Amino acid sequence: MNGLRFAFSRSIAAKVITSTILLSLGVVWLAGSALDSRLSDGIRSVNLSSSIAEARLAFFNAQYQLALTQAEKPRNRLQSLADIIVEATSQGLTEQVREVIIVKTPTKNPSKNFYDMSSNGARSDSIPKDLRVKIQKSSDLQYEYGKLRYASGPGVDSLFVGNRLDIPNGGRYEMYVVFSLANQSSTIALIQNSLFFTGFALIILIALITWLVVRQVVRPVRLAANVAQQFTQGNFSLRLPINSKDELATLANSFNEMAASIEQQISRLENLSRVQQRFVSDVSHELRTPLTTLRMASEVIYNHRMNFEPPVARSAELLVAQLDRFERLLEDLLEVSRFDAEVAVLEPVEFDVTALIKRCVSDLGVDADEKTSGISLSSENEIVTITADIRRVERIMRNLLSNALDHCDGTQIEIQISATEAEVAVGVRDYGTGLDQASLIRVFDRFWRADPSRARVRGGTGLGLSIALEDARLHNGELDAWGRPGKGAHFVLTLPRIAGGSIQTRPIKPTPKDFHEETFYQ
Amino acid sequence: MALIMVVDDDLDLAEMLGIVLTSSGFDVDLVNRGDEALEVFRNNPPDLVLLDVMLPGIDGIEVCKLIRNESMVPIVMLSAKGETLDIVRGLEAGADDYMQKPFRDEAELIARIRTRLRRTNADVTGMLSIGDINIDVTAHEVMRGATKITLTRLEFDLLVALAKDPGRVFTRDALLSEVWGYRHSTDTRLVNVHVQRLRSKIEHDPEHPEIVMTIRGVGYKAGGSA
Repeated sequence: MNGLRFAFSRSIAAKVITSTILLSLGVVWLAGSALDSRLSDGIRSVNLSSSIAEARLAFFNAQYQLALTQAEKPRNRLQSLADIIVEATSQGLTEQVREVIIVKTPTKNPSKNFYDMSSNGARSDSIPKDLRVKIQKSSDLQYEYGKLRYASGPGVDSLFVGNRLDIPNGGRYEMYVVFSLANQSSTIALIQNSLFFTGFALIILIALITWLVVRQVVRPVRLAANVAQQFTQGNFSLRLPINSKDELATLANSFNEMAASIEQQISRLENLSRVQQRFVSDVSHELRTPLTTLRMASEVIYNHRMNFEPPVARSAELLVAQLDRFERLLEDLLEVSRFDAEVAVLEPVEFDVTALIKRCVSDLGVDADEKTSGISLSSENEIVTITADIRRVERIMRNLLSNALDHCDGTQIEIQISATEAEVAVGVRDYGTGLDQASLIRVFDRFWRADPSRARVRGGTGLGLSIALEDARLHNGELDAWGRPGKGAHFVLTLPRIAGGSIQTRPIKPTPKDFHEETFYQ
Repeated sequence: MALIMVVDDDLDLAEMLGIVLTSSGFDVDLVNRGDEALEVFRNNPPDLVLLDVMLPGIDGIEVCKLIRNESMVPIVMLSAKGETLDIVRGLEAGADDYMQKPFRDEAELIARIRTRLRRTNADVTGMLSIGDINIDVTAHEVMRGATKITLTRLEFDLLVALAKDPGRVFTRDALLSEVWGYRHSTDTRLVNVHVQRLRSKIEHDPEHPEIVMTIRGVGYKAGGSA
């Protein structure tokens, strides 16, 4: 049922053919039943009049024959009566089977002679009661449809035509000529069958013709749909063939014009963005050589700063520090341009995440002593191996850690590692200023800063978290952020255990265990 | 006093490198074109070559191949393009190490150069054997039976590092610090490429190594003595 509805809703052809079949079914049924009733009525009335005429002849004949037996003995009269029945049943040219029944009209004074008689054992009690009443009341010929029963066997649909019959010295009798309707019924059945089969064939033909016609319309539409679908999938060079001048050709023409215009726009944009990405990448590369010279020169100066006046010495320090920052920014820009150009590639190796994080923490060691009461690391397992791009994972961890150090305001930083069969998660939690809802949405935006008025203590580039997110996504992983004002922040990195796999669950939930929404808002 | 040949088309950078290297006690030969590099190299063989990738004439990777054909001198590539492909191409052309511009700091450059010039594993002397390979550490010679196998200094150092501790499994990080003198680096391509190169020279079948074995997910170790 569902499948049918699906086909119905999907295909114009199915819709059109179904409604055509239903409508023509109605029309054929109406026409067929009208024809059927006209024909059946006609056959019945022709049959009826010829039967009545034959019966009339039989009655007349019988009455005449009986009149001739006026003087005969009852035994001979009985013989004549039998002759009459034989004659009446064999009368006529039609193959119509007929029976004759002669039955006494009930009277008060019974006769001594008994002339009840019937052909082929037809039972007189199968004559319709009201027909007998009518005949007893009227002197004219009467008829009625009914079922004729024999001594044995089933009843037969028949036409009963009856009249009075006066038998000399026998009193009043009724004579019935019973015409079997079997022939007539089979003729009518034949006509009905023919009508039915003609109607059926007609409907099938109509459906077939509709299908052919619909196909003519639907085929180009399907082709157009197909082309449009491939177009959506990025095959912008496809066009519809035009080989007629009808409305469908107009459709194809408009479609092709639209396709050409889209293709042009897209290639223009692609070109533009390629040029732009290329430009960013080239600029970054071109900047590297002079930056190298600058760094080396600045370090030579820096190494001799004790020989300078204090302002000059300080300037040398600032120069080195700012060149450092400049270089980081350049690296980050280059990385971002790689992501934008979608040329960033994973180079997965198998390694131990716990060891990597310990190394990242010890690299930050100086800062940690300076600003925080400590960084704690908890892991369910001693060694957590993962197959991932170690350079990128290290960069993510460095970014998360230095971000936490920037915003922890001297509080504890907790790193948690948790792993399942398919995922490895690392949570970095701080208890500093935290983030509000609006900041959470923007925290991964490029060059976005939580609080523009805050001093840039660590000199981050503003691209760190955005690159970290891209790095995580490149692994099919995810980087989630949680934060509440005054309650600190929690960043959770979830990576598939094997690079290229997918993550189903989050071993560490972004909302920390120690935080409860209800108590926070009370 | 070690002689260092600096090949870089950027005159200012080459001059700056010259200043830094000279003040660190090296002699410096500056070359600005790729097609001149080989001639200068032949006339005045240096102890180490600092080679830029992008050069006028012929590019740095080609220069690296030409020099490697003639000499086992340490070559350090300088690359402005930090792309993986460039680095791997350079290493496959025979470079021992590479540095990405801009250098983290000049101290690192000097440290790397010193590591390349100094004999690593200076404590090891005498004969070592690994598989059917015999290493004469003192004479700096590698023999399979009577056949001498020519290795670059770095390949030799890598082989000695593995052979001197036959049972031990070396992580890539450990090899990086022991052979290349990196304090820490996560760039394991350097190790991978050199192990491949070493295998192509010393293994009977580099596809099924018997001398330098890979321990999956950990690193490398020397194969058992035959």
